[in-house]
Amino acid sequence: MQETGYRRFKIESKPAPHAYPIPNKFDVSARKVRLAGMLLHEAFEYKFKKEVVLSRPCIYGVFGGRFGGFKPIKQKCVGCMRCVQEYPHIMRVKPSDEYKRLGDSFWTPEMVYTIWNEAATGKIPVKGMGYKGAFGGEGFDGIWTDMSEIVRPTRDGVYGREYISTSVDIGRKPVHVNFEKLDHTPTTLEVPVPIILDELPAGTESDDVSIAVDRAAEQVGTLRVTGKGDHSQANLPIVDEKQIGEYKQTPRILEFDAQEQGLLDKLLSDFGSTILIGRLPLKEDTSSMVSELVHRGVHGVHLYADYHGWDYSKEPRHISAALKDTHQQLVREGVRDQITIIASGGITLAEHVPKAIICGADLVGIDTTVPVALQSEFHGETQNRENCGLKPRKIDPAWGTQRLVNLMSVWHDQLIEILSAMGMRDVRRLRGDIGRSMMDSELREQSFKGIAWAA
Amino acid sequence: MGSLELIVEKHTERIHHGLEVLPTLKHGLPAGLGNKRWTGELILATYEQALTGELPMNGLEYKTGNSGGGFDVLGWKSHDGVAKVDEDQVDLSISLNKRGEGKKIEIPLPIYGGGMSFGSISLNFMIARARAAKKLETYTSTGEGGYPDQIVPYRDHVITQVATGMFGVREETIQYAPIVEFKYAQGAKPGLGGHLLADKVTSEVAKMRESSMFTSLYSPFPFHSVYSVEDHKKHVDWIKTVNPRALISVKVSTPTDVDMVAIGSYYAGANIIHIDGGYGGTGAAPEIAKKNIAMPVEYAIPKVHEYLVSEGVRDKITLIASGGIRTADDVAKAIALGADGCVVATAEAVAVGCTHCGNCERGRGCQVGITTTDPELSQFIDPAWGEKRIVNLFNAWSKRLRIILAEFGLASVRELRGRKDLLVRYK
Repeated sequence: MQETGYRRFKIESKPAPHAYPIPNKFDVSARKVRLAGMLLHEAFEYKFKKEVVLSRPCIYGVFGGRFGGFKPIKQKCVGCMRCVQEYPHIMRVKPSDEYKRLGDSFWTPEMVYTIWNEAATGKIPVKGMGYKGAFGGEGFDGIWTDMSEIVRPTRDGVYGREYISTSVDIGRKPVHVNFEKLDHTPTTLEVPVPIILDELPAGTESDDVSIAVDRAAEQVGTLRVTGKGDHSQANLPIVDEKQIGEYKQTPRILEFDAQEQGLLDKLLSDFGSTILIGRLPLKEDTSSMVSELVHRGVHGVHLYADYHGWDYSKEPRHISAALKDTHQQLVREGVRDQITIIASGGITLAEHVPKAIICGADLVGIDTTVPVALQSEFHGETQNRENCGLKPRKIDPAWGTQRLVNLMSVWHDQLIEILSAMGMRDVRRLRGDIGRSMMDSELREQSFKGIAWAA
Repeated sequence: MGSLELIVEKHTERIHHGLEVLPTLKHGLPAGLGNKRWTGELILATYEQALTGELPMNGLEYKTGNSGGGFDVLGWKSHDGVAKVDEDQVDLSISLNKRGEGKKIEIPLPIYGGGMSFGSISLNFMIARARAAKKLETYTSTGEGGYPDQIVPYRDHVITQVATGMFGVREETIQYAPIVEFKYAQGAKPGLGGHLLADKVTSEVAKMRESSMFTSLYSPFPFHSVYSVEDHKKHVDWIKTVNPRALISVKVSTPTDVDMVAIGSYYAGANIIHIDGGYGGTGAAPEIAKKNIAMPVEYAIPKVHEYLVSEGVRDKITLIASGGIRTADDVAKAIALGADGCVVATAEAVAVGCTHCGNCERGRGCQVGITTTDPELSQFIDPAWGEKRIVNLFNAWSKRLRIILAEFGLASVRELRGRKDLLVRYK
């Protein structure tokens, strides 16, 4: 029997531990001769009271193995440094070389670890003490989201967060009611999270990976962009002119290369009720191209940067800046509300989702994050769409599905954290709301105005 | 002495010894220590100042971190040609009540301790902070975890915090307080409220907070009785009715309209507006909140200061900044940007051995007894030892503040307020 009434949207997560061992974050070692000397010294000092002498300076069990400090259990080390504090002449703790090698020039080891852990646990990363990273930065790192001192969407504290809607509509919306065409209801597709899974980076897709991505998209209720022409419910196929004739039934949604001349017109004529999303690289003239597409009847655009989040202009801009440009151009023309903007490229962490939406996207597509969550290996830079340095590993599709569901679950939870702090009930209200964000570059100039540059 | 006592004694001695030895760099700079905000050197320099009460003399960086922005890209203008004043004559005191009415409270240094609640930190560390506040003639804040009997002897130096969970807020704890602090938001988790993980809710913590053992405790956000400045005024009136002597501090985070919040707080009767930036500490908070929500305090201070000046009320309210104040130089820079003084908490934790590793919420809690309720680990901090370390740290900071002020020919820290012209920016 179908469930009736209101149902809170929640993506159920379940543990999906790493299938392949991950590098230890820290490398802990002891100077063995000194350690032996210390043990001897303490044996006499504490009159051979075994429990005192062998009481170890670690509450995480790093020295809890049979050989204690002589063979520390490195994977248990959390970098608390107490062993170094107690025995600075004996103990060494440093970030491990394997950990430091993770990722590429964009994916920092911390980012890789974050995605792995989110995919494994489905839990929001929580830590004590303060923030430990860089101050602001470029791109998304240079944007802070606003908060409200006195407004929160619900009155029942943390338990009420589920009342915040993260649904978005994909498709074209009319700006007014046409009484002569009341039988022509606009077609839109609602997804419960403003995140879709973009086409997998070249070379990262195996059959098992593909199954995992399909099933995860279906389980979450979102879409998966694919160039394979698969017509399953969760798929958002990319179609070219040759493939148009292969469709026996009118598809509900399609992506197409918007740079291909005449393709939009053909699709509009062949698939009148299909939601048509034009795929375009972000570059200098994207705003005018999108504007033209809107006037020709497109229902949405999928704007993409490279996998590091840089657009394809001669002087590359970060996707956040390029998106703002296009969004604001459409606002000025009074057509922004008619179409959907999907953004992808460089959206790799949970916080990038609300920030991309603030910059003007309705929803985002994630790309390299998917293979990273599935423990693909880094073999060089991941920036290039045609030659991404991620190589897939063999996976169990069920495991892969759960990893991606966990990832979406934890990103959804974090989106709600951001929205609730802003006092917003609906992610749709966040779109292009630059006034509810703070830019590092602007704040710096306002607040540090009057401070001279050092010679 | 039983084995357990011996074990505690052994580790306490070793930790204390390590805190003395590490800053000498005899064994090098530990590679795993620190991060961009609290660099390894800054942590060791804090240990050193907490040990000696002096500024480090061995070249350890004790002024800035390496975050690439905010305080870390601000320095001091050359003071060549400026007539110096005698460092010993420099006055570091600030007033916490600038209104025409109410009790006049001054503190001899422009610093007091931030709220860290019982439950999120150990009782011993809490007592150490209260003792240090008394010794320094400044204040510390209870945070929102109740008012343990053990800190009642120091009540003249303890601020009672009133936050949304109202844990430990009782008539007598409001009446104890020379200052009552409303925590509307916290910089490290702005707009999200508080969360004490179940593992930390021991019988003592549960009793103090009048809750059940080993059950997560939430401080919901926001105050459900406050949706306007007028509502806030009712809050102030409530406190003033219970304790007419108390000064009122309003702790808020740093949204885009933080200047409006500040002016609203002033008109509602606050004596202190306390702005808490996102880079400050907390027992546990989502990483996404710390990094991404609300502006850093370095940007919020001038915004609030200049707005209060333009509204003509700047000299009637004390502006306090917190959330990422790590050093004496950070304090001075915050004041030059427009604050009257600063609230400090993480630096006090570092003074007693914190490594800023961020594992406060994990398992038994802090490995050196700071953010823990574990009965064994808590014993690593003897309140008298902790008091001495915190007092030493602030004595060292006072020396550095005096040096900065004296070099610019300023006889009082009050003259530094809003002097952005004394700062320079680095690229």
